[in-house]
Amino acid sequence: MKKRLFAIPSFLAAGFLPAKADAVSPAGVVEKKDAPASIFERLHLNHIYSLAAHRSHSSHRSHSSHRSSSGGSYAAPRYNRNITSTPNTTILPNSGQNVYQATPDTPVYPAVPGQKLKVLPGNTDKFRQIVIQVQTALSLYGYYTGTIDGRIGPESKVALAKMQEAYGLKVTGTITPEVLNALGITAE
Amino acid sequence: MIDLRLKVDPLPIVEPLVLRLCERDRSEHSEHDAHLIGRETGCREYEYLGFSVRIHASDELPLDGDVLMILPGQPSAHRLIRATSMHNTLLITEQCDQLCVMCSQPPKKHHLDFFDQFAIAAKLAPSGAYIGISGGEPLLHKARLFEFLASSAVARPDLRFHVLTNAQHLEAEDMKRLDEIGPERVLWGIPLYASDSKLHDEIVGKRGAFHRLERNLAFLMRAGASVELRTVVMQQNWGFLPDLANFVANRLPFVSVWALMQLERIGYGRMNWRNTFKDTSTEFSALKSAINMAVAKGVEVALYNFPLCSVPPDYRQFAPSTISDWKRKFLHVCRECSSRSACGGFFEWYSHDEGFEGIRPL
Repeated sequence: MKKRLFAIPSFLAAGFLPAKADAVSPAGVVEKKDAPASIFERLHLNHIYSLAAHRSHSSHRSHSSHRSSSGGSYAAPRYNRNITSTPNTTILPNSGQNVYQATPDTPVYPAVPGQKLKVLPGNTDKFRQIVIQVQTALSLYGYYTGTIDGRIGPESKVALAKMQEAYGLKVTGTITPEVLNALGITAE
Repeated sequence: MIDLRLKVDPLPIVEPLVLRLCERDRSEHSEHDAHLIGRETGCREYEYLGFSVRIHASDELPLDGDVLMILPGQPSAHRLIRATSMHNTLLITEQCDQLCVMCSQPPKKHHLDFFDQFAIAAKLAPSGAYIGISGGEPLLHKARLFEFLASSAVARPDLRFHVLTNAQHLEAEDMKRLDEIGPERVLWGIPLYASDSKLHDEIVGKRGAFHRLERNLAFLMRAGASVELRTVVMQQNWGFLPDLANFVANRLPFVSVWALMQLERIGYGRMNWRNTFKDTSTEFSALKSAINMAVAKGVEVALYNFPLCSVPPDYRQFAPSTISDWKRKFLHVCRECSSRSACGGFFEWYSHDEGFEGIRPL
């Protein structure tokens, strides 16, 4: 949230502008970097926790969600691409001091809020390679006459459906494991 | 028990894939949408970039709007976001710097970083979703966590997050970051087990934890953060609950709620059950004193994970239904209970042989 420092702060005080106005700068506004929220702004918050409409009235409680941290894990026996064991650290619960340093990885997406996250191109590339192989095979066997562009468009879908029908496969118009098998394409 | 994983036919992927399942027309579209193209008994087929994604699930299971993460070589997809649930939780890490005596998810050494995938999932979540962030200890990876929260806050101002953390890893300079994320966007669920530093440190298995927590709660207070203070009720801290109530009321009155919680019989909680579990259905006195004191001082109090019949009638108003849908069960005896719809029931891993003696239909 950008803060503006007004030449005439009384505008603010008089309520002409909200304290966090992101409006067009009036003349004479100076950009003030990183002005911290005032203690009043911080403590005058719309907290998200509401058990009851009134603190004094607790006969009807609607607690939206409670969590405990048990259950679930994404541990993947065959998947270890982004495992990072934290080097130079040990988890010694009874060591008597906090020797555990969190070692966050170098961020792969910019830390500036609002900026686009890192694109994950790996699967897109992999899919494209396979689509090119599928389109090539479909062309060879006479089902497809479109461009080999690595993208499944309407023409490719029709070609896939024709090929599936001819081979006695389930007709979906998509690339299925059966299509890849029939065309001798390994997706590994 | 609701399955958080679904069997999926192999896909040619080289990195985690995040998809949103679409079975109806949506008002907003995403490049991550996979559209339903066919159904057979026990199997649904979706199209994603021209490829078939086959999900095996029972026909009555609602999947429209669910966000799945599929990992290379894994035969099952993780349901990161269930569109119809209030209990979506992202497991940030399984590393932890504490070793709590009743920990339900004992720490693991390695960390799998899925923040990029979580960021996509959050953006695909249903409108107004309230997403849990859990671990392990999420703040061990706080730079990534703050990026995730900040980017989600910008992309989806309607989302709210509930972060479960031991709050050991916060510094004064982090407060500026919390301000950017928006203090109204995050509820911090933070455990405190005793007002006696030695006892708290013993329970969490880390010396100095209490004092660090005390300091960091002060940071959070000054940052205007919303805090849900969480105290698991155990044999270890039973006699000290009134003292803790005093401490909370006098020293931490800014907390949004003080949650007194029953034990979860899994992980270390299961291993140490006999020395830890406090049967509050047969003895409620210390809790009564603690609640009375906190309420009298204006602290919002809640009892989490207490079956209604285990709580004296006057105190049932403090016990909302809190056990997450996917790990909740009811017992045989609950069939005749008239309060079942208001009751949170029991954890899936609760064992009645070692559990509450006072369970009965209301």
